[in-house]
Amino acid sequence: MIWKVFLFAWIAAGMLAGFLWAPVVPVLGATTRVFYFHFPAALVTTLAFGWSMVHSALYLARRDLTHDDHAAGAADLGLLFCVVATISGSMWARAMWGAYWNWDPRETSVFFLLLIYAAYLALRAAIDGETRRARLAAIYSCVAFVTVPFLIFVVPRIYFSLHPDPLFGRRGKPDIDPRIMLVAAWMFAGFTALFFWLLSLRVRLGRVERRALKGMA
Amino acid sequence: MPATRSSSAGAVWAILRKECRSEWRTRYGLNSALLFAVTTLTSISFVVGKIADRTDILAALLWIVLVFAALASLAHTFVREVEGHTMTMLRLVASPTAIALGKLGFNLLFLGVLEAVTVPLFLVLVGGPPLHWDRFLAVLGLGSVALAAAATLVGAVIAQTRGRGALFAAVSLPILLPVLAGAVSGTRGQWNGAPIGAELRLLGAYAAALLGASLILYDHLWEE
Repeated sequence: MIWKVFLFAWIAAGMLAGFLWAPVVPVLGATTRVFYFHFPAALVTTLAFGWSMVHSALYLARRDLTHDDHAAGAADLGLLFCVVATISGSMWARAMWGAYWNWDPRETSVFFLLLIYAAYLALRAAIDGETRRARLAAIYSCVAFVTVPFLIFVVPRIYFSLHPDPLFGRRGKPDIDPRIMLVAAWMFAGFTALFFWLLSLRVRLGRVERRALKGMA
Repeated sequence: MPATRSSSAGAVWAILRKECRSEWRTRYGLNSALLFAVTTLTSISFVVGKIADRTDILAALLWIVLVFAALASLAHTFVREVEGHTMTMLRLVASPTAIALGKLGFNLLFLGVLEAVTVPLFLVLVGGPPLHWDRFLAVLGLGSVALAAAATLVGAVIAQTRGRGALFAAVSLPILLPVLAGAVSGTRGQWNGAPIGAELRLLGAYAAALLGASLILYDHLWEE
């Protein structure tokens, strides 16, 4: 309970700092603040899909259904954070580029990513039997994550993109005010904690459901 | 151990030959894919005529026709085994990897035949000849390898689910979208005389990554 309150306070403090303490970037103006949601959400998306892939591989190696709970929950939540990153990016694009959506390479690749993980969930829903579902979904999750480096790192660099360079970009140090960076990092820490908290709920739920099913049988 | 390797290579070859033979007996998959491709091409040609100067539309149309014509039949290689109740028998004689590799080889061959008919027809009816045949064929080849690799793995997974047919397109298309994007961009670039090195590298790397992941994952395809 105390951690939930702490997490709430942490993210609220980050938002307040973003609006009251950190400066805005000259050209971007008030839209600078989209960054505090967009950037952590995009990073947590990658983290979540990576987490899902690691636990899928672990499931295939060890056949422990807890890993499947982790994989499914992380993919679910990754999709959620991906939607947050997409919507916040789209709002920013409307303000800066004049349109919510214009198939910029980065918009294209995030859209592909959404479809791939939505397909993962559709696939899970169509398989009977929990061990078979876990095994087949794990195979698909590993294949799906193969596409992630291409979509996130390769495609936007091959084609011309209007999207600002990501922080681990190709050209030297980012020229951003340290206060903005601090708030972004703060929000990233908050979003990451939020992800792991929600994931732990999903994993516990999976365990309880399995126990209840076993009790009925 | 050389003995095991040669015997599993033999198994892959046997599966490939079996696939070709059973396809040749009915020609169900090939006929429907070719019919689909020809019908689509005819309707495109009928509606828009020859549009050799619109390279962006040409490239997109070519790949949409190819991918959709191929998709319905690529899943068929595994679904056929499940529906004919022959999967268990097949697994008794070969390892999952050998079965999947044999079917991957068949799918590649299948795509080759499909393209050998569809692409010339497309170039004659709708588009003009490619500016650089080598680049055109390189994009076509790498795109096909990536397509076959993704379709084989997803097909094997989908064959074990409920509602196989409907799900296959929904699950494999998202994985194929990067292939489609790279191939369309490369084909268009080739027609415009633009450099397409980036697209070729993207397609090649994607195909290699899919194949590499498949080789690791094939072993887990069947269990019970």
